[in-house]
Amino acid sequence: MIETAGGRQEPVISIRNLEMSYGSKPILQGIDLDVYQGQIIGYIGPNGAGKSTTVKIMLGLVEGYQGEVKIFGRDIADGDTDYKRRIGYVPEVAELYESLTAQEYLVFVGELYGLPQRKADHKARRLMAKFGLEEVYFDRISSYSKGMRQKVLLISSLLHNPDILFLDEPLSGLDANSVMIVKEILAALAAEGKTIFYSSHIMDVVEKISSRILLLNGGRIVADGSFEELREQSHERSLEQIFNDLTGFHEYKDVAASFVSIVQEV
Amino acid sequence: MGTVKWLQILDPLRGLFEKSGIDYDMMRRILEVKLLMDGRRVPTLIQKSSKTADPDNQSNQFIKSLWIYVVISVVLIPFIVMKTNYMFQMSLVFGILMFMITTSMISDFSSVMLDVRDRNILFSKPVQRRTISMAKLLHVLIYLLLLTGSLTVVPLAVGLFRHGVLFFLLFLVEIILMDFFIVVLTAVLYWLVLRFFDGEKLKDIINYVQIGLTIVMTVGYQFISRLFNLMDLTAAFTPKWWEIFIFPAWFASPFEWLLGQGKSPLIVIFSVLSVVGPLVAWWVYSLLMPSFERNLQKLASHHGRGKTRGFRLQEGLSMLFCRGQLERLFFRFSWDMMGRERDFKLKVYPQLGFSIVFPFIFMFNMLRSEGGFAAMRTGKGFLFLYFCALMIPSIIMMLKFSGNYKGAWIYQTAPLTDTASVYKGALKAMVARLFAPVFILQAVIFLIIFGARIIPELIVILLGVLLYVVVSFMALEKGLPFSRPFQSSQSGGGFVIFGLIVLLGVFAGAHFGFTFLPYGEYLYMLLLLVLNLIAWKLAFRELPAS
Repeated sequence: MIETAGGRQEPVISIRNLEMSYGSKPILQGIDLDVYQGQIIGYIGPNGAGKSTTVKIMLGLVEGYQGEVKIFGRDIADGDTDYKRRIGYVPEVAELYESLTAQEYLVFVGELYGLPQRKADHKARRLMAKFGLEEVYFDRISSYSKGMRQKVLLISSLLHNPDILFLDEPLSGLDANSVMIVKEILAALAAEGKTIFYSSHIMDVVEKISSRILLLNGGRIVADGSFEELREQSHERSLEQIFNDLTGFHEYKDVAASFVSIVQEV
Repeated sequence: MGTVKWLQILDPLRGLFEKSGIDYDMMRRILEVKLLMDGRRVPTLIQKSSKTADPDNQSNQFIKSLWIYVVISVVLIPFIVMKTNYMFQMSLVFGILMFMITTSMISDFSSVMLDVRDRNILFSKPVQRRTISMAKLLHVLIYLLLLTGSLTVVPLAVGLFRHGVLFFLLFLVEIILMDFFIVVLTAVLYWLVLRFFDGEKLKDIINYVQIGLTIVMTVGYQFISRLFNLMDLTAAFTPKWWEIFIFPAWFASPFEWLLGQGKSPLIVIFSVLSVVGPLVAWWVYSLLMPSFERNLQKLASHHGRGKTRGFRLQEGLSMLFCRGQLERLFFRFSWDMMGRERDFKLKVYPQLGFSIVFPFIFMFNMLRSEGGFAAMRTGKGFLFLYFCALMIPSIIMMLKFSGNYKGAWIYQTAPLTDTASVYKGALKAMVARLFAPVFILQAVIFLIIFGARIIPELIVILLGVLLYVVVSFMALEKGLPFSRPFQSSQSGGGFVIFGLIVLLGVFAGAHFGFTFLPYGEYLYMLLLLVLNLIAWKLAFRELPAS
C-alpha cells in the first residue's frame, strides 16, 4: 500500500525521540520506533512504563509531548484528524456509554468513523452474531458481562475496517474460546496487511501472536525484536523470564513467600 | 433505534454551524446520543437485584422536575407587576434569575462540562475537537434553555399582559442574552481554575469555587435589593459607575431606557453592554475552548497521594457517637467518602454554602427593617439558625449516590448482617462531618450576637435538627450509602424535599410558640429529647436486608 518507488516499505508509524512528562514526572524518555505494515507488535512493559501513554499520544488523546509522531507519513500534530479514520482503538479501561444498547453504541461509533447508519448497523449485527451475542444486540451494555463488553469494544474498533489497530489488553475478560477466535482474527488481519499494535500483560499470548516485541521500561525501549531474537540475546527460555530479566526483577519468589505469610496471620 | 426527533429544530442553523467549521451531522448525532443517555437510568447492581430495570423508561428525570421551577418562578411575579421603577424591578428579576440559573448550572451541569469519559470514546475518533466541543456546549444549552424556559414562562406571560408586547419581546431577548452570558461565565471560571492548577488539587479548587460562588451570589443578590432600598422607589434612577459590575443591572437597563424615563448615558451604556457583553463573552469562550479541553486532561490524571496522620478525628468521633463495630465502621467509611468523593462534594458542598449564608441574610434583613442591632439582640432572631438545616434533606438524598457506585458490590459479598447500622453510621457521619461544622460556626457567631441567653435555644435547635435528620431519612427513598450512580441531571425526590423544607418551618414555628410559655424552651427541649430517642429507634427498625 504505502510503498516507495524503490519497493522498500515506508513505515506506517514513525516515532522520533518522543518524550512526555506529567508535571515533573517523566513518562516517556526518548522513544524511537518504526512500525511497518503487516506487523503484529506486542508492546509490553511493567505498570507505569508508559505503554498506554504512547498509544494515547498516537491517537491524539494526550497532548503536550515532545518529539515527532508520524502516522501514514503525516505528522499527527498538524491538526488534521483524518488519519484517525484508518485507526481502530480498544482502550485499556472498558469505557463505553453503558446506558446505550449495543446496537446504539456500535452504530454511533460507526457513524463517528463516517459509516452510513444502515451499513454500520448491518455490519455490527453480523459481527455480534459471530461472537454469539446476537440476542443481546438490543440490550443495554450496562447489563453485559466484562467479556461481552470487551467483544463490543473489539467490534467497535473494527467496524470501519481500519489499517492500524491499537489494542490495549484486548483479551481481558474473554473466555478461552473467545481468546482463540480473537487471536485468529488478529493473525488474519495482519496477513491482510493491517498493522496491529498490541499491549498486554499476558506474556504467553504476546509470545505466540506477536511478530515483533517491544519491551518498554522506565519510558525507554529496552528490547526490540522477534521473540526468537530476544531469546537469543538474553539466553532465557520464555518471554516471561526475558521480561523479568530486562526489567531487573528477580525477587518474585521472596515477595510471594512473604506475602503468603502475611495472609496467614490472623 | 433511539433517535431524538426534536433535534431537527437545529437543522435550519446547519449553515451557520458549518461556516464555523463544524461537522453538523456528526454534532447532531453526538448530541442525540448524549440526550438519549440522559433519558435513561443506569440500573445498578443494587437495583437489579430488587427489581428488573424497565428497559423502555426513557423519561428524563430532569424534564420531569421542571414544574418545580415553574412554581418557584411565581416569586418573580410581584416584581414584574410593579410599575414603579423598571431599573429596580428588572434588576431584581434578573438578579434572581441569574442566581437560580448559575447555581443550578454549577451544581447540576458541572458534570456535563467537566466530563472526562468522552476522551477515550470521542477523541480517538476522526471527529474535529471543535465539533465535539459544540455538541457538549449545546448539550448544556438545551438543559439551560429548558430550565430558563420553565423559570420564565409565567413571568413572561405576566409581563405581556401587564406591560405589553414591547416589554415581552425585550424580556425574551434579554433572557436569552443572559443565558449565553451565564454559560460563558461558568465556562471561563472553570477555565481559569483549570489553567492554573492540576490534578486532584484542581478538583478540590472547583469545589471551593463552587461553594464560594454560591455564597457570593447569595450575598450579591442581597446587595441588589440593598442598592435600591435606600432610595425612593418612585424617583428616577440615577445609576452610578460602579454598578457596571453588577451584571443584572445590565439586563435591566434596556427596560429603563426604552420603556421608562431613565435616559442617562450610563443607562444607555449598560443597555449596550447587555447585548455586547454576552457576544464578547461568547467570542472569548470560543477562543478559550481548545485550551479548556486541553486542560480538562488534567482532570483525568490522578496523582493524589494520601497523607497518613497519627490521630484521625473520625476514629475518635466514631467511638463517641456510635455503638457497635459495624456502625462505627460505616461512620468512618462514610466520613472518608464524603470528604473524598468528587461527585458527591460537587453536588453537596454548594448546598453547604447556602446553609452558611442563609441565616445571616435573614438576620441582616431584620437588622434593616426593625429597630437596628440593639432591638435584634433582644429579639428572637436566633430562630434564623434553623435555616442552616435547610440542606439536610437533599444531602440525605445524596448519600446514596456515588461516582464509584459500582464498588457497592462489596455490600453484597461482605457478610453484612444488619443494614440498620450501615444507615445509622452513614447518617451520623453526615451530621458530624457536614452539618456540625456549619452549625458550630454559626452557633458561635450567634452567641456573640445574642449573648449567652440563647444557649438553651441553641440546644433546642440542635435537638430539633437531629430529629429533623431522622424524619428526613424516614421520608426519603432509602438506598445503601454510595451505591447508586448520579445522573447528569439529578432532581428526583423534589416533592418530598419540598415537604421536608416546610416541615423545618414547622420545627422553627413550634420553637417560636414555646418561647411564649414560661420555661417553654425547656419544655420543648424535653419533648424533642423524647421524640429523638423514639425516632432514632423507630427509623432503623424495619429495613430491608439489602
